[in-house]
Amino acid sequence: MGPRLTCCARLVLPVAAAVLFAAGPRAQTAPAAPAGGKPAAKAPAPASQPVNANARALAEVRSRIATYAGLHRELEATLPPLPKGATAEQIDKHQRALALKLQEARRGAKAGDIFTPAARSVIRRLLDVVLRGPDGPALRASIRDENAGSLSIAVNARYPGSVPLATMPTKVLEGLPKLPKELEYRFLGDRLLLVDVDPNLIVDFIDHAVRPQ
Amino acid sequence: MFTRVSAAAGALLLLVIPCGSASSGPADGTVLQAAQPAPAALALTLPNRADSLKFAVLGDFGTASREQYELAAVMKRVHDAFPYELVILVGDNLYGSERPQDFKKKFEIPYKPLLDAGVKFYASLGNHDAREQRYYKLFNMDGKLYYTFKGSKQSVRFYALESTYMDPDQIVWFEKELRGSDSDWKIPYFHHPPYSSGDRHGSDARLREVLEPLFIKFNVSVVFTGHDHFYERTKPQKDIVYFVVGSGGKLRKGNIDKSSGITAAGNDTDYAFLAAEVNGDEMWFNAVSRQAKVIDSGSITRRK
Repeated sequence: MGPRLTCCARLVLPVAAAVLFAAGPRAQTAPAAPAGGKPAAKAPAPASQPVNANARALAEVRSRIATYAGLHRELEATLPPLPKGATAEQIDKHQRALALKLQEARRGAKAGDIFTPAARSVIRRLLDVVLRGPDGPALRASIRDENAGSLSIAVNARYPGSVPLATMPTKVLEGLPKLPKELEYRFLGDRLLLVDVDPNLIVDFIDHAVRPQ
Repeated sequence: MFTRVSAAAGALLLLVIPCGSASSGPADGTVLQAAQPAPAALALTLPNRADSLKFAVLGDFGTASREQYELAAVMKRVHDAFPYELVILVGDNLYGSERPQDFKKKFEIPYKPLLDAGVKFYASLGNHDAREQRYYKLFNMDGKLYYTFKGSKQSVRFYALESTYMDPDQIVWFEKELRGSDSDWKIPYFHHPPYSSGDRHGSDARLREVLEPLFIKFNVSVVFTGHDHFYERTKPQKDIVYFVVGSGGKLRKGNIDKSSGITAAGNDTDYAFLAAEVNGDEMWFNAVSRQAKVIDSGSITRRK
């Protein structure tokens, strides 16, 4: 049996789909039913299928995320494996070594390397749809809970030490591109961060991802 | 069958542990200075049955503060009389920096007497916890952000969830695990409380929306959480009792909103942890403060 959609997914996914496919400049429309009420014959697929610009932007993000996760795995494989039952010293050593390797490999990385300008715009809109919906106030309250606010951050730097992690509500995560296990989204102030979990590195971020109410 | 909660059940055996029974004096017979205040007598009201599953609940503790250490000492005193075999941690295990020395002074040193006694700690992660804690041997997470394990006695299964990042994959996993379990007691624990009277944080309604239907569907009777820095036991909410045990190393005095209408018992004046035991269809609990006082007690009959 495949994964069962939660009630949240049932609510959010159509909204996300609406953002993706209705707002795009080359959105496709379904063929109209003929006057007689019979369904139209399925039109042959064009040789070059038009691609919605928003979907294309998110596909590009997914591809860049996959490339990053591949780099993470490749570099981590060069380190002695961290046992599941590690000491604090082993964890610290591994975390710092992996962070260093990733920082070196991505020297010169900057905001926008993963979240392209087109994708930023789409993701802001996706979040806006969710956060302006009926659950918006409660979702914003969850995100604001112990959210450290606007701190100075940089791509390829460590997530600021001692700063608590803001909650990522299920409904928000359902509206964003799915991540491999190495990565997580986090809010910091109104920014959406892409964080590499184990080395605790900021991979990319989107400013003003949470728009004011 | 509905969850039945009895507060301060009177039929239980009263265990009175005299002052100083837990820590012996120096082996060379040195007399300690009389100026030291004697610790309060400990009066647990748990049945302490030989074949029950005994455990403790602790949250929001990793501060390295004097209060954390004092409560840890009380936990050891309780263990001497009521030998719980495991402690479930409801998150915020380490506040602030998480260098190796922090693991020592915020966890390994204060709980060394318990660790030495063979007590195992099973962590869940809070919003102050770095994700790599899941590899830490003494947290028994086996490298996983969310996981499940079975109690060594009785029909009990625990589920440690990651509530700062409740992604759809975790929910699918949780439902699958609940459905596949034949344990009588299914006990989830995690950081953010679906129900809490905290003036600072309070109930996480979005988390409740996602988890509560599963708790109801799969006959969960009791849920342990933290995040709000006090102790609270709720009145049954849709037949489920929620505990907030976020008072292990931080305390937000006066933070329980008495007008919430959901509080069965609460304490926001001292640090505290919970000791509990499951035997058959009953779970008994004692919340114990840093002053070694039982600040809440009772029993819960599981849902069927």
